[in-house]
This record gives sequence, C-alpha cells and structure tokens, in this order.
Amino acid sequence: MKKEIPLAITFISGVLLVLALFIPHKPFGNLEEIFNDWYIIVSGFTFLLGIDSLLGYNFGKLKRKEKDAPYALVLILSFFITLTWGIVEIVRTPEHNPFGPTSTFSLYFYNSIFIPLQATMFAILSFFIASAAYRAFRAKEINSALLLVSAVLVMLGRIPLGQSAAPYVITVIFLIFAVYFFAESAGVTEPKIKIAYILVALIFVALIYPLGFVYFRQHIPEFADWIMNVPQMAGKRGIMIGIALGGIAMSIRIILGIERTYMK
Amino acid sequence: MKLIFLLLLGQITPIVVKAVDTPYDAGGSITVTWELDSTWLGKIGRIEIYRYSSAGVSDSLVETLYKPDTIYVDNATEDNIPYFYGVVVYADGEIFGEGRTTEPAVSSQQWFNRKRLSVLIILLVYTIFLMYFIMRARFDKNLFIRKIAGLEAIDEAVGRSTEMGRPILYVMGLGYISDIPTVASLAILKRVAFKAAEYNAQVIVPCFDPIVMVAAQETVREGFIEAGRPDLYNESDIYYLTSDQFGYAAGVDGIMVRQKPGAVFLQGYFFAEALILAETGHSIGAIQISGTTAVTQLPFFIASTDYTLIGEEMYAASAYLSRDPLSLGTIKGEDYIKMILAIIILLGALMETFSIGNHILRDFFSIF
Amino acid sequence: MIELLKKLAGIDRRFIYAAVFLATAIPILTKATMKVEPLPEVRKAYEYIESLPESSVVMVSIDYDAASMPELQPMLEAFLHHSFSKNLRVIMLGHWPLGLPLGQQALEKVAGQYNKEYGVDYVFLGYRPGVAAVIINLGKDFRTVFSSDYAYTPIDSLPLMREVSNYKNVKLLLGLEAGAVGDAWVQYGYARYNLPIILGSTAVSTPDYYPYMQANQVISVIGGLRGAADYETLLGITGEASIGMLPQSVIHLVIIAFIIIGNIGFLVLRRAKK
Repeated sequence: MKKEIPLAITFISGVLLVLALFIPHKPFGNLEEIFNDWYIIVSGFTFLLGIDSLLGYNFGKLKRKEKDAPYALVLILSFFITLTWGIVEIVRTPEHNPFGPTSTFSLYFYNSIFIPLQATMFAILSFFIASAAYRAFRAKEINSALLLVSAVLVMLGRIPLGQSAAPYVITVIFLIFAVYFFAESAGVTEPKIKIAYILVALIFVALIYPLGFVYFRQHIPEFADWIMNVPQMAGKRGIMIGIALGGIAMSIRIILGIERTYMK
Repeated sequence: MKLIFLLLLGQITPIVVKAVDTPYDAGGSITVTWELDSTWLGKIGRIEIYRYSSAGVSDSLVETLYKPDTIYVDNATEDNIPYFYGVVVYADGEIFGEGRTTEPAVSSQQWFNRKRLSVLIILLVYTIFLMYFIMRARFDKNLFIRKIAGLEAIDEAVGRSTEMGRPILYVMGLGYISDIPTVASLAILKRVAFKAAEYNAQVIVPCFDPIVMVAAQETVREGFIEAGRPDLYNESDIYYLTSDQFGYAAGVDGIMVRQKPGAVFLQGYFFAEALILAETGHSIGAIQISGTTAVTQLPFFIASTDYTLIGEEMYAASAYLSRDPLSLGTIKGEDYIKMILAIIILLGALMETFSIGNHILRDFFSIF
Repeated sequence: MIELLKKLAGIDRRFIYAAVFLATAIPILTKATMKVEPLPEVRKAYEYIESLPESSVVMVSIDYDAASMPELQPMLEAFLHHSFSKNLRVIMLGHWPLGLPLGQQALEKVAGQYNKEYGVDYVFLGYRPGVAAVIINLGKDFRTVFSSDYAYTPIDSLPLMREVSNYKNVKLLLGLEAGAVGDAWVQYGYARYNLPIILGSTAVSTPDYYPYMQANQVISVIGGLRGAADYETLLGITGEASIGMLPQSVIHLVIIAFIIIGNIGFLVLRRAKK
C-alpha cells in the first residue's frame, strides 16, 4: 500500500490534467490553476524544511569544528541578523511591508549587500566565458574549424565595432589557416596531396580580400543574423523537438508508474 | 438619437456586425466581428464597441480600439444571458460608420476544445505507439539502445573520484520537482549513489529547492540500500542551500573549491549559472558529467565539461541505466515517432514551398 | 620561437581573467560612447510605443534582479523616459521579488524628472507569488490579485487603477526577463488574453524569445545591452547602455584575440607532435 497510494494519486492527477487541456467546461477548465495554487501553498511550507536542513547542517559543522566552520558561522550569523532585523522592522513600523523596498532596513541591506553580491556573481560569468571560449574553440578538424569561424563571425556581427574590425580579424584567421596548410604541404611526399594542400592555402589567401574587405565589412551583422536564425535555429529546434518528445514519454512513464525513482 | 438621425440622413455608413459565443471555451465570452471596407483603413481613428442586453438596458461601452481591427472578444459576459452588440467607427473625430447585431448572442461553456483536436490526435497516436512498444518490450528482452557516452562514464567518474579519495558532488540545478529534467536527474542520482555506496564514497548534494532536497535524500538512501550499504548513508550530505540563483552558484562554487570533489555531476535545469559552475569544476580538475534540457546552456556545458547529456539523452537515462524493458520500450517508441515527425516536417516544408495541399499540414499543426 | 608559440595553447586562466578585467574596466572608466545603428527589432518596439495614443496604460513587469541589472536596468529607464515623455501611464509589477526595488527606484527617479504624480500617472503594485496564476488572474481582474498596491493603499483609491479592470485596459506589457517568466507572459498573457507584449531580455536568454517574435506572439524583443543601447539611441538619450557599448566591443575583440592565439598555439603544437 505504501507504494500503491502515491502511484494512484500520480496516475489520477496526471490523467486529470491531460484531460483538462481538452475540456474547457468547469470543473476541468480551471483545474490547472487550482493545482498551481495548491502547489504554491504546499511549497511555501516546505521552506521550513529547507531552513531546518540548512541550519542543522551548518550548526553540525560548528559543533564538529570542521575546517570550514568559520563559513558556517558567517552563514548562521547572517541568517539570524537578517531575520531579527526584519522582525524588528515589522514591530516598529507595522504599516510598512517589511520585505518590500520601503523600509530602511531592507533598502540598506538591498543596496549595500545584496546588489553588489549578486552583480559580482553574474559578472564572474564574463571571465569564465573568456576562458571557456579560449579552450573550447580549437580547430581540431573541419567541423570545429567551422564552429570557430562562425563563432567569431557572430561575435563580430553583434558588436558596434564589428564591421570595422571584421576585415582584419578575417585576414588574421585566414592567414593562420594558409600558413598551416603550407607548412603541412612541406611534410607530404605524395605530389597530388601536396598540390591539394598548397591549393587550399592559396584559396584562403585569395578569399581574404573579397570576403573580409568587401563582403563582411558591409554585411557582417546580416550574416551573423543569418547564422543565428538559420543554422543555429535549425539545430536548436531539432534538439527542442527531441526534448519535447522525450518529455512526453517521460511524463507517460511517470503517470503509468513505470518511472518511480522520485519516490521510495 | 443623434446616431439614428445621422443614419437617416445617410451620412453614416452602415456596418454589418455579428456576435457569437466564443467557441471551445469555459464560457463568459462572446466574439464580436464586423466588416470594414478596405478603402476606410487609412481614415479610421478609433472603434467603439457597445454591449447591451435585450431588456433594453442602456448601451455600455466595453472597449475602444485604436486599430482598424475587425474582431473583438468580450470576456466579461454572463452565461445564458442574451446580449446585443453595437460597433461605432470614428474617423477624424466624427462618427463614420455604425452597426448593431440583429441576433442575440449567448455565451456558454463547451465540453471539448476543438482547436486542440490536433494535439489530442498527436497525443493519442504517440501514446498508442508507446503502449505498443511497452507491450512488445515484455516479450522482446533484447531491445537495442545506442551507447550514451555520458552515462557510460558515470561509473568511471565515481571510481576515479574514489581512488583520489575525494567526495562526489551532485548538483541538480535550479529546477523544481515539477520539472521533468529534475525527475530525470533523480534517476541519474540514484545510479551515482549506488556506485558511490559500492566504492564507499561520499555523495554531496546541495539543493536549490526543499522539496527537491527531500526527493534527493530518498533517492540517495534507496541507492545505498540497493547497493547493500544503508549504514553508509548520511542524510546531512544532502542539504538545502538557498533558493537564490547566484547565491546558489556562489555556494556550490565554495563547496567545489573547499572540498575539491573528484567528480562533479551537473544534471538538471540550469540558467545563467551553468558556466559559472562548470568552469569552477574544471578549474579544480574534477571529472565533470553534465546534462540539461536548457538549450541555451548546452553550449557552455559542452565547452567546459567532459561529458554532456544533450536534452533527451537525460530523459533516456533512467531507462538506459536500469535496463528496465518497459522503460526501454518507451524510448523505442519515441524514436519511431521522431522518425515519423521528421518525415512530416520534410513533407510540410515541401508542401508549403510548392503550395501543394492548401496548407493542410500547416493548419493541422497550428494550435494558437 | 616555436617553444613560445607552443605555450600559447595553454595560457594560464588567471592571465585571461586579468585581460578581461582590463578590457572592461578601462573603456568603462573613459565613459566614451559609440554610435550604434539600431537593430530592426528594437526599432519595431520603439515604433509600437510611439504609436500608442496619449494617456494609454502600459505595464512593466520586473522579472530580473541585481544580477542582470546592467543589461535590463538601462532598458527599463529608457522605457520609462519614453512612456512619461509621451504621457503614457505606467503600472509596474514583477515576478522576481528581489528585483522589484530596482524597478521602484527607477520608476520614482524617472517619474520625478517628468513631474508625474503617484496614483494618477504611475502605480507600483509590487509582487504576488505564483507566476502563471498571477498572469492568468490579472487577465480576469486585477483586483483578484492586487487589492492594494505595495504600500497597502487600496487600488480603487488610486485614480489610475480605477480605470483598469484587466488586460483590456492595458495597451502594452514590457516584460524585462532574466529567466523563464517571459514564456509565461506569452503562454498565458498573449495566448489567452491577446495581451500585446514586448520582451526585453538579457543577451543570454534572447535566443529563447526570438521564436515568439517570428510567430508574431510578441511584438518585438529587445535583446541585451546592445538592444538597450539601440533603444537609447532611438530616444536620443545617452544612458548606461550607450556607455556600455565600447567595453562590450573591446571585450568581444579580446575574446576573439584569445581564440586566435589559442589556435596558433594549438596548430603549432599539433605540427610539432607529428
């Protein structure tokens, strides 16, 4: 019974919500809203569980005097200071919403601690994007070389300086490829392959002017849009269709009780 | 009175107005339509829509439109009461055209939303396919499923982390228990917990949502029990961190830097914090296996982690790992449906490109 | 020489971080602006707001917080300048409680510059939990969700709110999005009530919202700092976003330079291995 009852609840509520999508008549029509409301109410209470877990975990660290106990102390102190300060605000100025932006406490807390901390975390992203891009975009084979070139073109297409910088960036990239293929050709003995390598290198050199200085200087924003709207979007939609189908299959497995890792 | 007077003088153009119950809804709504001559379009300043009940209640203005629309949905009607509608068109501040409905309209609730018929058909076909393959899976024990590198690597990652004497960090992202990626992540967590219990390794799961935390605790406990080591299970390793996005990212980064896990799993739904977590994981030299259905975050994971489960691969994880024939059956069904959809998409693109078939496919798949 | 080139494949990340820091900090400190050519989608959003008749009610939803403030706050301020200069009336609410003070601070600042009066020209409703439920119920009647504004003033005592019963009285919603709330605005606000929507989003989530624009489910999408700078350009003001264009350009070029350098090192290394 311990398993059957939750499974039955899952099955009934799952099927009801699927039906509700097709039946506008009451009581089905607003079932989704009712379920949503209840979810909000229930999840509100579970925050007590969360607080219990958080404090329990950090008090434990303090008690055991673990290596990172000082961090636990900072967390516990911040938690209780915020809480007490909030309660004091409610008592002192009951007409103000203590968690709204009107009280001096929350404004001070918000402007001098919360905004800088959050902004810092998000700003770190730009550093990580640079280091990840540096590592990830390597011309290991044709596919990754194409990825690299399109990434650079999209970046150039999205910035105001892009049009004026494009010719030089293209020149550098194509010259690197040309030099690489020339160098490769030196090590090849088969004459046909040797000629092919040299030809590829020459094509890169020949493309520098028409592509970089003529086409991209004028059209790089449109080209970047094209990459984003056509090849990028096509791949993305393919993945999204897969995710949607997988999601439906997963939901059906959950409703039918085949998938039950989420319960005991 | 002025209206009727002007109408009699012939200075106002009569407009044909129709009102019907808005189809396929939960009642309380009437759709009003009227016709505008295409030669008026540039002149129209505003259009006023009036509603009045048959009992002769004076007109009440329900809406003013500032565009030459020809449709208005009145969502504030009471069911089973007949209403009439009037439409007045203004040009250059003067009344230009006017019209009223001749038949009363009554709003009511419907039992079936026919606009979603195509969704129902697709859902039924899909479900039948899945059911068929679930049934087949009962007899055919050798369903083939291609290798998924990210899932194959789980055991290796847990093993290597244990060899290094380091804990395993499992991050479930910012999803709630109602999100499917979170449920899929629990299935992977169970496998990780199972392997960790076998190797006697510690699994740390910092959570973003308290309900997810409870579910994760249950899942890890189950994994440890299945591995026959319930004594090793430590509930306080799975704890709640915060429900603030970047607070969570900062907290998890802190755990990575201080506890130096040997393996990091980033499985679930992620937003902008994805790369912050993945790059920090990379910097401490952990082997990282990521998986998400957040399409915008996938490129970041692919760039920064060792293995990535792309979208549906994550959903396939529980079937793949458990080798449960019923679950594997649904994946087979999913693949067939995908093939059929690909053919339909190709067909639709061809039909639209060469204007064949009067948009039949396009209309079938347009639900909005 | 070859040894030096090989090293380019494995530059220490701290060096990259330092370069990123300098490439952003120096241009920001110069406060120089750049001329931008507004993207068509931003122009479309601008023109839609331009076309609204005077005293129309527009709504802004603050669905972001301090983390995405650099991108979305300039967009909000530009929109408020645009609305108040055209005498539109503004209702502000939001789904990210910790971002709402940012919205309120901007609202009060810009409203003050145009001598607008609270309750008559603008209203700050605040936050109610339950994203989808809030959006759906606002479409039925604002009073079912907000019986009072953020300071507990009953909304019927605010002249502006007396004229607003549901989305029918709202001519535009500007959703400023850092997460997934924009989807809810489209799925419930647009699909159920035909609410006209313009989404302003962080650059990273902008690709998620483009399909809505292609399907005409939203009027337009203003994406990232660049979108905000375009909007400022159309309004003829120099705000934070316009100042942000130079650092953004420079940092992109620095990243491109690192990609190129990394590849030189990588290709040299690969040849050497052969």
